[in-house]
Amino acid sequence: MKVYECCGVESVTKKVYCSTCRQEIKNEREVPDEGTVYSYTVIHIAPADYAHLAPYTVALVQLKDSTAKLTVRIQESVQIGDPVQLDQIADGTYIYQKVRTA
Amino acid sequence: MSVYVHSVSMTKFGNSENTSLKDLMLAASREALEEARELKIDAVFVGNYMGGSLANQEILGAIVANDLGLGPIPTAKLEGACASGGIALRQGILGILSGEYESVLVVGVEKMKHASTATVTQFINSAMDQTTNERYAGLTFPGFFGVVANRYFYETGANKSHLAKLALKNRENALQNPLAQFRKPATLEEIMNARMITDPLGLFDCSPITDGAAAVVLSRKPSDIKILASAQASGPTMMQDAIDLLSLPAIRISGQQAYEKAGVSPEDIDVVEIHDCFSMTEMLAIEELGFFPKLEGWLAIEQGKTCVNGEKPVNTSGGLLSRGHPIGATGVAQFYQLVLQLRGHAPNQLEKQPRLALAQNLGGTGSYSVVHILERV
Repeated sequence: MKVYECCGVESVTKKVYCSTCRQEIKNEREVPDEGTVYSYTVIHIAPADYAHLAPYTVALVQLKDSTAKLTVRIQESVQIGDPVQLDQIADGTYIYQKVRTA
Repeated sequence: MSVYVHSVSMTKFGNSENTSLKDLMLAASREALEEARELKIDAVFVGNYMGGSLANQEILGAIVANDLGLGPIPTAKLEGACASGGIALRQGILGILSGEYESVLVVGVEKMKHASTATVTQFINSAMDQTTNERYAGLTFPGFFGVVANRYFYETGANKSHLAKLALKNRENALQNPLAQFRKPATLEEIMNARMITDPLGLFDCSPITDGAAAVVLSRKPSDIKILASAQASGPTMMQDAIDLLSLPAIRISGQQAYEKAGVSPEDIDVVEIHDCFSMTEMLAIEELGFFPKLEGWLAIEQGKTCVNGEKPVNTSGGLLSRGHPIGATGVAQFYQLVLQLRGHAPNQLEKQPRLALAQNLGGTGSYSVVHILERV
């Protein structure tokens, strides 16, 4: 997972200029694909394109070793604080799953 | 130079099955113009979000000028998602303050009820950045505020019953408002057990799909209602970019700027209309506008402080949740309720006639916020 940084703000979204120093955002680094559920919702009423998936969980994941957060879809029910990891990237969607303990 | 409100109008909010977008817009405009007949209108600003996509109708400003015989005056449509109406008001105010216009008509309108919920949800999603992974994850607007609500519960002592209590307050206010969409009483139990939309938000936590229009005539010529401040700020266009998920910085900044311009503080405001697109949004907004401490809005709700007879009455119109939310009309309809409150004949009129009123209109995931402060003079 790539995160972009300037003036202490990290984001998974690449923007052009930093709103603090007004310079072009150039710092990027790789961080682990895993993290913890910062918050979530279960979407029962979906937009037309996603109606066939409902109900589905959308979670905001606090990425490990970064201050950046990532919006993902999860196919199972989760709680805040649950450790999660990347399952696959499909059609631009980060699909995450709970970390399984052996 | 100052700007004054000369007239306000709004149509009945709800289902206007047999009325076109154009006719809703003209009805509200006409009523506002009738009340301000002595003024010559120099420009028209229209607040509208989905005229093109849902009603296949643009050029709204030119239609108003043509059909209402306003002459070859300049017009424009303003879009800022659900803040379109507030932004149209602000552009009208700025046009007068620039010296270019003496009097302007601002009208907000939306026609949505004819489309299915899935279609409306899809088009409303265009108010989030559609090029990112967030869109592909299937996040929706109610979804965003559902994620916010679950985190709010996690960090405070609040739970779903606090959101339900807030929604019930707005429903009870709407019962007294003849122009509101929902005038059927509800109970706390009914709200708590309603169909889930985006966990933990149920049907009553989400503003409805609504048809409606509202209009205002503004002028530099004095009237009994003076605009003390107009402020606007921008915020994140994506959930994952929020530095603090429980903050909508655009509301905070536009509020602070408005207080500074007006030379007043949150304590001075007598009556408020807030953008409660979701119950959770009103909860954050009463904190961001400085009425209650951060993460303590739920305590104010618990104590009934935002009820009509409370210390800070919020959404005496019924708010977006129960008055209805015809997107482009919402910001203008907030003026309608506040001007009636200041003049002393509003639905849920405050016992002590208010002097200072604040309107806050939000667009997107906190992407736009507009705050206006009005004074009875």
